[in-house]
Amino acid sequence: MVPLQVLVADDEAVSRTVVGAMLKKAGYPVIFAPDGQQAFQTLDTDDPPAIALLDWEMPGLQGPEVVQRIRTKQTQTPTYIILLTSRDSSADIVQGLRAGADDYVTKPANEDELIARVSVGTRVVQLQAALAERVRSLEEALANVKALQTLLPMCAYCKSIRNDQNYWEKVETYFTQHSNVAFTHSYCPNCYERFVRPELEALEDARAAQDRLKRR
Amino acid sequence: MIDGPVLDPAVLDTLRKLTPPGEPDVLAEVLKLFLEEVPPRITRLRNAWASRDIEEVHRAAHSLKGSAGNIGARRLFAVCSQLDETKRSGDLNAIGALVDVLGVEFDKVEGEIRRVMGAASQERD
Repeated sequence: MVPLQVLVADDEAVSRTVVGAMLKKAGYPVIFAPDGQQAFQTLDTDDPPAIALLDWEMPGLQGPEVVQRIRTKQTQTPTYIILLTSRDSSADIVQGLRAGADDYVTKPANEDELIARVSVGTRVVQLQAALAERVRSLEEALANVKALQTLLPMCAYCKSIRNDQNYWEKVETYFTQHSNVAFTHSYCPNCYERFVRPELEALEDARAAQDRLKRR
Repeated sequence: MIDGPVLDPAVLDTLRKLTPPGEPDVLAEVLKLFLEEVPPRITRLRNAWASRDIEEVHRAAHSLKGSAGNIGARRLFAVCSQLDETKRSGDLNAIGALVDVLGVEFDKVEGEIRRVMGAASQERD
């Protein structure tokens, strides 16, 4: 599995470098932002990093403000955001989580704790992606079911079906394209009597006639 | 009360071990960044104190606290934390005293960093 990309946003180069090195050692590809504004721009794209570590106190946009802004965008796979803070009062923590952060880590970050929390984030992001994929395939299946529920024009004689492009096609072709049904060909007892048996008998007769000719 | 090592050897060791094989030493890089980044902040803090801009004193102390914590500068970290805590009391005498201690503690950290970096470069030579 490809490790998820992590954004580290911190205006202090020392913190940024230390946290980045911890993540790189654990195998995560890391990108950096030196302030809140650039962190927001990195997150506000179609393909944002899966996980972000945002410093609380940054000039311009602070960590919680970045979170708040990014959370107003609707997405099926939101970035998992961890706030980095040297504040540790519960009022601050509550404020950060209410802004929409998923977790927080107190600074200076302990390597093991930081990596453990990022891997929780990885789990959540992967679960969310799996659920989004499931929803997508269910929606697709539902669309097919709906297509099959409509009125199908069928030829009364040859049983061909007129598709939505106005072409007549075989029942098999139509259903293979519009559902997960696959066809295997066989015959029913009635058709055996009506078509198969006469053909077999005709074959037998032809063979017997040939044998008589050879013997002569 | 300020006590503890100027630079915590356990933290330095953790930083050293973050270096991936064949890459530049993370510890050396972080210490170099500290020496580049922190002195202007100390100056900013001193200037803020001189003009009694207490809000700016606290902002600078808070960011210094983060950098000090990252390199295991325990004593400097403790001073910054105490300065952070004066936010509530707003006690000017306490703040003034801590700004002075902070300068002294930073000088110690700087000396220690130069010693560690010198030892590291001698090892390489």
